[in-house]
Amino acid sequence: MVSLTIDGKTVSVARGTTILEAARQLGITIPTLCWLQKVSPTGACRICAVEVEGVDRTMTACNTVVKDGIVVTTQSERLFTIRKQIVELLLVNHPLDCPVCDAGGECELQDITYAFGVNRPSFAAENVNPDTIDGWPLIQQVPSRCVLCEKCVKVCHETVGAQALLVNDRGDRAFIDKRLENCEYCGNCVQVCPTGTMISKTFKFKARPWELQKTASICTLCPSQCEVDVHTKQNQVCRVTSEDGETVNNGSLCIGGFFAHGFLNSEKRLTSPLKKRVDGQQPLDWDEALSSVVEKAATAGGEACAGLTGGRLGNEEYYLFQKLFRAGFGSNNIDSEARFGYLRGIEVLQSALGLGGASHLPDRIGQVDAVVVVGADPTSEAPLVDWQIQQACRVGDGKLILANQRKVKLNQYANTPMVYRPGSEVALVNALTKLVLEQDGADDDFLGRYLGNVDELKSFYAAVDLGQAIEATGVSAKTLQDAAGYLVKAESVAVVFGGEVLRGPMSAEATRALVNLALVCGALHGDIGGLFPLDEKGNLAGAIDAGVAPGLLPGQQAYGQAGGQFASSWGVDLPQQGKDANQILHGIEAGEIRFLYLAGVNPLLAFPQAARWRKALEKVEFLVVQDILASELTSMADIVLTGAGNFEKSGSVTGLGGRVGYLKPAVSPVGESRPDFEIFAGLLAKVQRDSAPASLAAVQTEMKDLSGLYEDVCFTASGRRFCYRKGWKPVDGSLRFAPAEGVAQLPELVLLTGASMFQFGSTTTFSPGTATVAPTGQFLVNPADALSCGVNDGALIKVSAAGEEIQGAIKLSDDVPRGVLFAPANFADLPVRQLIPEGNLVGVSIAKA
Amino acid sequence: MSQVVFSSWGREVVDNRQGGDGEVEAVQRRLPVTFDGNQPIAAFMGWDGVVIKDPSIDVVAMAAEYAKRVQEDYCCAKCSPGKKGTKVMQDALARILAGQGSEQDLTTIEGLADLLQNCKCTLCATSVIPVVDTIKHFRNDYLAYISGENQPKGEHRYTVKLTAPCQSKCPAHIDIPSYIEEIKDRKYSEALATIRESMPLPAVCGRVCPHPCESACRRKNVDDSVNIMVLKRTASDYEWQHALQPPMQPKPRKDKTIAVVGAGPAGLTSAYYLALEGYPVTIYEALPEGYGGGMIAVGIPAYRMPRHILQRDIDIISSMGVEIKYDTRVGVDITLPELKEKFDAVLLAPGAHKSKPMGVEGEDQGYTGFLAGGIEFLREAYLGRPTGMGKKVVVVGGGNTAIDCVRVALREGAEESILLYRRTRKEMPADEWEIDGADEEGVRFEFLVLPTKILVDDNNQVTGVECVRMELGEPDDSGRRRPQPVEGSEFVVECDTVIPAIGQDPDLSFIPEDMGIEITRWKTVVTKTLPLQNAIGRDLQDDMGNALTRTLVTDCDGVFASGDAEIGPLTVVACVGNAHRAAKVIQRWLEEGEAYLDDDDLMEDIIWSLGVYDQDEKVAWLDSVERTNQDEVHGRERASKGNYSEVELGFKDSKAVQEAERCLRCYRVGMLAL
Repeated sequence: MVSLTIDGKTVSVARGTTILEAARQLGITIPTLCWLQKVSPTGACRICAVEVEGVDRTMTACNTVVKDGIVVTTQSERLFTIRKQIVELLLVNHPLDCPVCDAGGECELQDITYAFGVNRPSFAAENVNPDTIDGWPLIQQVPSRCVLCEKCVKVCHETVGAQALLVNDRGDRAFIDKRLENCEYCGNCVQVCPTGTMISKTFKFKARPWELQKTASICTLCPSQCEVDVHTKQNQVCRVTSEDGETVNNGSLCIGGFFAHGFLNSEKRLTSPLKKRVDGQQPLDWDEALSSVVEKAATAGGEACAGLTGGRLGNEEYYLFQKLFRAGFGSNNIDSEARFGYLRGIEVLQSALGLGGASHLPDRIGQVDAVVVVGADPTSEAPLVDWQIQQACRVGDGKLILANQRKVKLNQYANTPMVYRPGSEVALVNALTKLVLEQDGADDDFLGRYLGNVDELKSFYAAVDLGQAIEATGVSAKTLQDAAGYLVKAESVAVVFGGEVLRGPMSAEATRALVNLALVCGALHGDIGGLFPLDEKGNLAGAIDAGVAPGLLPGQQAYGQAGGQFASSWGVDLPQQGKDANQILHGIEAGEIRFLYLAGVNPLLAFPQAARWRKALEKVEFLVVQDILASELTSMADIVLTGAGNFEKSGSVTGLGGRVGYLKPAVSPVGESRPDFEIFAGLLAKVQRDSAPASLAAVQTEMKDLSGLYEDVCFTASGRRFCYRKGWKPVDGSLRFAPAEGVAQLPELVLLTGASMFQFGSTTTFSPGTATVAPTGQFLVNPADALSCGVNDGALIKVSAAGEEIQGAIKLSDDVPRGVLFAPANFADLPVRQLIPEGNLVGVSIAKA
Repeated sequence: MSQVVFSSWGREVVDNRQGGDGEVEAVQRRLPVTFDGNQPIAAFMGWDGVVIKDPSIDVVAMAAEYAKRVQEDYCCAKCSPGKKGTKVMQDALARILAGQGSEQDLTTIEGLADLLQNCKCTLCATSVIPVVDTIKHFRNDYLAYISGENQPKGEHRYTVKLTAPCQSKCPAHIDIPSYIEEIKDRKYSEALATIRESMPLPAVCGRVCPHPCESACRRKNVDDSVNIMVLKRTASDYEWQHALQPPMQPKPRKDKTIAVVGAGPAGLTSAYYLALEGYPVTIYEALPEGYGGGMIAVGIPAYRMPRHILQRDIDIISSMGVEIKYDTRVGVDITLPELKEKFDAVLLAPGAHKSKPMGVEGEDQGYTGFLAGGIEFLREAYLGRPTGMGKKVVVVGGGNTAIDCVRVALREGAEESILLYRRTRKEMPADEWEIDGADEEGVRFEFLVLPTKILVDDNNQVTGVECVRMELGEPDDSGRRRPQPVEGSEFVVECDTVIPAIGQDPDLSFIPEDMGIEITRWKTVVTKTLPLQNAIGRDLQDDMGNALTRTLVTDCDGVFASGDAEIGPLTVVACVGNAHRAAKVIQRWLEEGEAYLDDDDLMEDIIWSLGVYDQDEKVAWLDSVERTNQDEVHGRERASKGNYSEVELGFKDSKAVQEAERCLRCYRVGMLAL
């Protein structure tokens, strides 16, 4: 500890603390303009100048580290003059457009000008401010308003790791410029800008800051589930921001959080329930709509009813959905989109570790010595994890071991960037585990304590053939050795895996291989690090926890074992069998399923075999679609039930690591549409004859009682509070090693599907903001593959597999290796999942269109 | 009479405008009278004041020009007072010059001068100093402009340069403050790009540079210098530790070709910069493939400079389009006249690979165990050939090569490794940390010892060295005290191997006499110089006693020289700086038919001569963060037989950032009026 005196008060602080931080501990405020807690100090504005006894110049408090015994003065006539003159300089050629400036009313330059009483110009100079930059998508830059504090540059570089923004030019002409190709359009530059320099084009001229009402809620577009403030005016969401320091995401947002809420105001919003009639879909009232659904389900009978959902709903909604089917319709034919990815991983984690999701909260990643990322693009799937990796491996000294089937943004920061051949992920992970064991890097204490069969593990990995792994993966021995070397040296490790693994052809084996790697390298041995399965859909973890799968009951309890408890609580007999999503598809084709309820999911885009699903949806006798936006899918429905967007309703959601947060309605649902909870509750009340619809609170109590999952969770709607699911801790000797093997043999040219960095599911494709930067899907093609089929950048190609064919434009990119085409599955105009028979990839042939 | 009309240089005012012969020593001794041997220097404006030598100079116009260049060309804009304050200053001066100024403008500038002392770095803060000096001491000139009496005359031209104490001191003139700032901002690739603008061997100079820059670091005046060298290593290691490809792209291929003799630091450097300009360069290297790098490879052992990292720097240079013909000794496998015939330009960069004789009885007898020399020993050890070394090894010398020899001897399996030096440890020219390293590894030092005779047995096998004890007498020319033998102090150091390592000379026997290339008596190539003399008529010189400003052109048209064979045996960084200049000169010669130094080269030399670092300057700063040193492997095991693993471990990134934060960014702008 270091002792120092500030303005006559003595304080003791940790070595390395800055004068500014020490002053704050004493409650002394030193004015700042460029300081931003979450990034390294810049020292640009010089306004925090202070005097240190014995030092013959001022020092800036923000970036001066304390020294034992120093005497600091933060307020003096000299300092006031310096600060005031700096403000006067900053105002030279600053435009007097505050009345129309977006930052007016929440501008730090305004505040500081006022605070120092600067009321007339003291300096003058020729105006050499560059012109306003209008050419960037989504963000306008007004250099004349800029104080060059570099907060935007820092946040872009250190927090997000995009490295898009930079200071360009010299002297007074200098301005913030951008490498557009690096921009992630996360809007963090807009959020941290103290003036109106960085302007959100989607918010510009929408409202004055003081007119806005702020509601704390949660962004549910991905499993990061960032905490946000929803700013509304006249029942419209005008913008979304997040607060530094107070939120799990420390105020940072991605394009989804910042720019993607426009779908809520889309003209494609469904405003009332619809019913298919001869002359097309016509509105009908809720009572009729709900009755009709209940009636048709009853007519079809439990075995012929099926329900599917996606990642858009809240926990209570999922709970009621499965209850409606099981207790109401007498059907256990319920499943979710997680079937095709996330759930495949969770099933392995459950059996291997008793783990129902990520082992730790994502903030445990930020402090590790090494991060292993396999088959994931955290930037697209869960940006919060990307920011944590930036924290660990760029702000900290952590090593990044990255292995994917294509290059992603994080490649530039990886110590061992690896691109492995599709289908070889098990071989890759096994090789790493073997090398860690070989280099005596195994976490033996941990293995000895928890693993019942350490010897089996060791002998299995001793027999792993490194040469075959190198052959199968295409990754060099040197890179694998280096990667293992980093893991051996690391005290704490985070293992992150995502869609490429979970939706891939080897998902179960690969997850098992990753579990073994995590056990061996110490990812699970303490508070720091962990095992993190990612999947780009927002609340699939909530769906799994609520038991939306034929084999699971709420609390991820096995259907066969825990059924009795639910049956007696609900006062019904539970159906015996249940079909999963694949079986439901077969069931429709075989005429066994005649009633299908799609709640917040679009199989035409989200499921493999989308073409087959289209035919099935056309065939099914009665199709209920519950959604918020009109699409090809809703037009196929016999009944459309209009749900609500995430900022229009209440309820809890479960993010990565089991963090349960609470949604608060910032606006009311559009038109006649209703929160999805009310729809399910209404249906259940109808099935159960005359009973009143359940309240949210009652359902939460029921969930808590029956699931055994949320005991530690306080469902609360007050303030920014969240709770966690119970932490993971295995019993000594309870874990068993299970071998993981196999390589998927794939054709020479495969189409790999995944998530777009700029879109979340298909919902955000209805948002003007995200549509500006990613209006449509494209195939990423390696230049060599393009050459061999004779096409150039931007050309149209036909991609075909198993009798299906789709067309799309190509973008040449070295990010995909030869033999791999990549396309995001978010876009209705590039329905790549029509080609995919299973998982996330398929052998294809391509030709010039 | 004094040549100085007015000077405020060094914050000391000498005003001879009304007659008088006040002198300013620094100006008199270190500033040349002419810019290039021809154009007289009329005035100099810079961080430490203003010097006026030509009474006709328009001081106001000069100050306005200086302020304009500072703001428009150099101000980084990364702090508010600097960005805005220098613009206000520039405009005020421009107004005055245009006859539209007022006395209030002068007051504003004087006020800004105080405010700018709060800047983030010293660029703008030091730039107001000479401007305010002119206002203070030439106020009437300003008032004449303000009242409209004066009009700009425009008789002088100006040449300006941005510099910093470390950057000027670095023989390669790397933009050190810039790359340190980039590391501070965690922009390692950008830092490396900055380094590569002046240094194509960053991995090497990040490890084995004697870092003269650190001796000119202003942070030393606060507490201790910034660890500039290891920060360079950080930037360079970051690239390969993240599997990043170097971003450089050579310009489109040109037709004229260049041959380079020697793939050492000088040869590689000039090849790199010429290749970037699009020239096809062929390097002729005597050693086999895999052993490129010249003295870096054969003279610096792998525990200081791991080979795969050196090779990476060489590979990068090759990938720019440089062809290296290994195993090809010029003078044996191909002659110099043949090269001259075949290529449009030839650069001689053969290095200095021949050990000097020791001048001791028996050294020329061909005794077994008396080795050819230190550099030959290191080379054979590196090539994996038999070195002829026994078990008990004596190395004679006090430079870095001698230290490398004793440390390599241990790694080659010597049971005892002894260093004999005729002065004390303090006078050793070897870097202090190298001596400490040898000490830690168990080398025995014998100081104040002069070998006089090699002792052998009947088979002519060395059995020892007869020595005499020395004592230090009066200082010699180099300032070191001259050692003198102590009578009757003869004694014998038993050994089976003696390695003389007292220095190297270039081997220029490949240059035929009839080519007209002159050789100095120090066996270096003579190159053309510019006659830059100071005010008292003495030729200005560089650190090595060479003429300050050399064009690197030999007396044979189209043949250039660089590196140890031009400067004399020195350091990697000196060779890099020298060879970078050679590349520029060669390019001008190829493109314009004239080999010359441009304004920037001349400014570099003149500013270096004037001196940017002032060890007596009182630097106000809070000394709350100590210098960070890199970790290293300790213990004698690090020098065990066959262990050439790297001893120094570099920085973790967070340590590098912390160390970079200590940099005071001591940029300065100097401007000459001609």
